[in-house]
Amino acid sequence: MSHVQLSSSALERLVARRTFPLHRRTSVCRNLFGPVDHEELSREMKAKLREISERDQQRWNFNFEANTPLDGDYKWEEVPVDQTPAFYQDSVQNDRTRVPATPVKQKPSSDSALPETPRLDVLERLAVPESSSTPCPVEVNQENRTDKLNSGKPTHRQVPCVRRKRTSTADNNNTHITDFYVKRKKAADRKSNEMSACHLSKSPIPVEQTPRKRIR
Amino acid sequence: MAHGTSIQYEPVAEIGGGAYGTVYKARDTESGQFVALKSVRVQTDQNGLPISTVREVALLRRLEQFDHPNVVRLMDVCATQRSDQETKVTLVFEHVDQDLKTYLERAPAPGLSPDRIKDLMKQLLCGLAFLHSNRVMHRDLKPENILVTSQGQVKLADFGLARIYSCHMALTPVVVTLWYRPPEVLLQSSYATPVDIWSTGCIFAEMFRRKPLFCGESEMDQLGKIFEVIGLPPEEEWPTDVTLSRKNFPPLTARPIKDFVPEINEQGAQLLLKMLTFDPLKRISSLNALEHPYFCDEETSTQTKS
Repeated sequence: MSHVQLSSSALERLVARRTFPLHRRTSVCRNLFGPVDHEELSREMKAKLREISERDQQRWNFNFEANTPLDGDYKWEEVPVDQTPAFYQDSVQNDRTRVPATPVKQKPSSDSALPETPRLDVLERLAVPESSSTPCPVEVNQENRTDKLNSGKPTHRQVPCVRRKRTSTADNNNTHITDFYVKRKKAADRKSNEMSACHLSKSPIPVEQTPRKRIR
Repeated sequence: MAHGTSIQYEPVAEIGGGAYGTVYKARDTESGQFVALKSVRVQTDQNGLPISTVREVALLRRLEQFDHPNVVRLMDVCATQRSDQETKVTLVFEHVDQDLKTYLERAPAPGLSPDRIKDLMKQLLCGLAFLHSNRVMHRDLKPENILVTSQGQVKLADFGLARIYSCHMALTPVVVTLWYRPPEVLLQSSYATPVDIWSTGCIFAEMFRRKPLFCGESEMDQLGKIFEVIGLPPEEEWPTDVTLSRKNFPPLTARPIKDFVPEINEQGAQLLLKMLTFDPLKRISSLNALEHPYFCDEETSTQTKS
């Protein structure tokens, strides 16, 4: 008896959801949970995010949005970076696709500053490989806009001039000696005087990558 | 900072926003504990934060649950959306007053005692073994990333963050050091957790020397300086997947490590050489390093172990 009831209620459920076999569509695509109200979803998400932010702000009595301390259990003070371990310094995600467009870019020598950073990673993959900054900023910008920024995969660059062939994908986060072979061809004329002024002449590697020693 | 200079440049919103040059630090008046904020600005699109950033944060939080004594505490991660294109991720860390770099600089004249060095090394390797057993490699281990509390406790920092932080700003002359980088990274070969052991070896030597062991100025120069100490590795150890030929280097033979680190004892020198091994597969692991006779007490070290 009971199992009859059960199956009939199951039937009702199926009917209610319009997934009853009679109504089955040929397509495998089914809308299991009804249509999505994107606006409502977005509203709820925003409310939730606001809630989280408020909780963060209360927990630390710090306004993370405005970057200003508030009154509370934590007594905040601003400390100059040189009086605190370098580790705590803010990191700025540098969107290199925009950098070439700004005058600031010209301040440091791009050749020596850019390729030396080994912390290239996700963000670097999202941004442009260092070597492309000079040759083709335009393509890079276009590409970055159409790119799926959160795909998180290093393999999606279609910019013709960015990534040279690299042997392994696992470690392409680092700048390596061989990067400079190609670079050298491009930059040889420009850099030759610098190179000869430097050391290790027996090496085939140009030395324009010399890191500055401010940070070790 | 000179105010005048900013006038001639376009304001760059991504960089100018925060109080660059200062760090927010706070004391919890209830617990007396110090915390500090580290902000990272991450580029986003309509899909939000890059999934890899989210994964990295999740990993850091998972590691946090182990509460390892030699890893800096990550108390919270707070995200605020700054614009459609940018989200600020603020990491709330415990604050430690000094890193190993300043610790070494501040050490009085003869330098750190051998016992102090041994203790620091043991803690460093403990933290590293913990990270490695969780399949996390640091990749940028250096004295600045090793915090030392006023009680002498070592806390590793900045690991796993490489994925979250981008490079340091390309706009400042800040360039990441090569001095602790292992040969396989310099050669662009494949690499894994042994990279951190190489860096640890460099730091081990630096604790005695109170100056870095290999101060290269370029990748080639760095490799050259390394081979001056450990010798040019034999052809069969040279990685096959690299473009740079072994022939580019002079055929140097290894010199006694004590020439470079005279204060180190015999067992320390042995351990150091195992860390500064060219072939990453032959390099000692963090767990094995902790088992090394160097770390045995004076009493036990006299007992011969096979």
